[in-house]
Amino acid sequence: MIVRLALKNLWRNPRRSGLTALSLIVGIGVFVVGDAFLGGLDENTIAAAENGTVGSLLARPAGYPTIGVHAPLDKLVTVGPEARALLDREAVAWTTRVLFTPTAVHGADAVRVRATGYEPARDAKVFTRERWVVQGAEPAADGDELTISPSVARILGLKVGDRFVLQARTHQGALNALEVRVAAIVQTGNLATDSLGVRVPMPLAARLTGAEAPTHVLVKLARRGDAKAFKPALAAALGPQAEVATLEEETAELLALQAVRRKMLDVVVFILLALAAFGVANTFLMAAHERTREVGTLRALGMTEGRVAALFVTEGALVGLAASLLGVAWGGWLSWWWSVHPIDFTKEIALKTNGTVAMSPLLGTRFSPAVLVFAVVLGVVVAVAASWYPARVASALRPADAVRA
Amino acid sequence: MPICQLTDVTRRYGTGPSRVDALKRVSLTIEPGEFTVLKGPSGSGKTTLLNQIGCLDVPDEGSLSIDGTTVAGLSSKALSRLRAEKIGFIFQSFNLIPVLTAEENVELALDLAGKPGERRAAVLDILKQVGLEGLGHRRPNELSGGQQQRVAVARALVKKPVLVIADEPTANLDSESGEAVLATMRRLNSELGLTFIFSSHDPRVVAHAKRVVTLHDGAIVNDQRTATGA
Repeated sequence: MIVRLALKNLWRNPRRSGLTALSLIVGIGVFVVGDAFLGGLDENTIAAAENGTVGSLLARPAGYPTIGVHAPLDKLVTVGPEARALLDREAVAWTTRVLFTPTAVHGADAVRVRATGYEPARDAKVFTRERWVVQGAEPAADGDELTISPSVARILGLKVGDRFVLQARTHQGALNALEVRVAAIVQTGNLATDSLGVRVPMPLAARLTGAEAPTHVLVKLARRGDAKAFKPALAAALGPQAEVATLEEETAELLALQAVRRKMLDVVVFILLALAAFGVANTFLMAAHERTREVGTLRALGMTEGRVAALFVTEGALVGLAASLLGVAWGGWLSWWWSVHPIDFTKEIALKTNGTVAMSPLLGTRFSPAVLVFAVVLGVVVAVAASWYPARVASALRPADAVRA
Repeated sequence: MPICQLTDVTRRYGTGPSRVDALKRVSLTIEPGEFTVLKGPSGSGKTTLLNQIGCLDVPDEGSLSIDGTTVAGLSSKALSRLRAEKIGFIFQSFNLIPVLTAEENVELALDLAGKPGERRAAVLDILKQVGLEGLGHRRPNELSGGQQQRVAVARALVKKPVLVIADEPTANLDSESGEAVLATMRRLNSELGLTFIFSSHDPRVVAHAKRVVTLHDGAIVNDQRTATGA
């Protein structure tokens, strides 16, 4: 009977009930969408590093700078027989890269680019190319061909087949320059390689830089979680020349920044839900006042204080449930839609980054049914908490006074 | 055993100079089957006395028992249980729950009394007895004042209470409706032996009474059993 009476009471003034629920609907929806976006951003960060720059874990020269665009060649990583055997045995795939920062010159135009020397056969086994947009063909492994990113093509006015000059400091510090040919313009979908990036087959990179060993060893393991356990073995095999970092460690800084964003979302959601709670409390306090005589009648008929309180709390819970379901409906739908159709921020951010951040300009959401369930529970809890005080006020009415109010 | 027994009941409101003694050492015994009217001018203590008898309020001094249960010391929950099971209320302003239909209003009393069994049949039966057959689906705002008061009567009676308390039950009714409601209650009193206690200024109500208790300034000044009732 209490639930039936609570439902009928809510329909007594549908407009007021609806407006009371509205702020809760907005708050819950914002929570769902915001959480989905932050989840998507986390996933984007991890996936971009895993599929573009790190793999499951990487090794680089000890003391190699991890901040800024500087890519020194003074220290290299030598992959000895022991490390090679370990990698061949334990890794799903592994490859090496030489990172350097040459200057690309085309006519009167010049621009500092981020070059990645790579092993054509191995690289594709470690890093996926599902989102690559390729105009042209893969460079010949031992020629003078390379690929450039769309931003380099745009800045220098290059197209497939054009030739330009790459100037680079060698491993020994001398200035080297080679004329190279654009085999393809490649958009990888990863800001770290798309922003002023050129991809240079390892033989050509070695000719330019004089480096006889890579700056990075990149390893793909069967599972992300295996990296932590594998790290000590690889570090031991490579010796003190190299430092080894897992995917988790490489993305920790970005994820920590996103944790701050999550806190900020929490604050926004808290404010929205607090406003919603005030709305619910105000509505039910008004209801308790308006329905004083009804409460008195119910008490005269034998309803206990506890059941009167339960009636108001049930009304709050029903408002919370309905509002949460609606909030989850719109928030969940948007979260699902953007998880399937990511928003493309290429134009907005691709040219504004210097390539130090491994992320995709396609920002999708992480659709999580568990978050939807949590959001419904959260909405109900907020509404119940907000209706608690009015329920106490109503249940504390003296029946003798209330019944004749 | 009396249905209701008050012994030296005193009820005060306020403190210090503003203190009002609403009831002053009132003693009253209501026997089963009585049809009693409390009368007296405004402020004489009729409503306060009904609040005591209905266990809506508790005395400052004195004792009260309802159907053998001593009220003093009962918790709020126990008082609620006592009201739910043993006392029916009829109010001047009907006090129906506006969002419930007539049937639901009546059923609510059964629900609160925790009465088991076929509730719907009991509800339809009592609505028929008060002359509201076929109107059970209507909400209070779809009923006349007289019909609303008869729903209130049905709500009070459906749980088969030992005592029905009616506070100015005809005050908001026209003479015809008031007479009909009174006749219904008088008939149920005669046929079922239900015990009624009213407060009223209405001479028609007094004319129906088997017993008339007159209050003045919080004290019983006259307690008279009538020869015929009505």
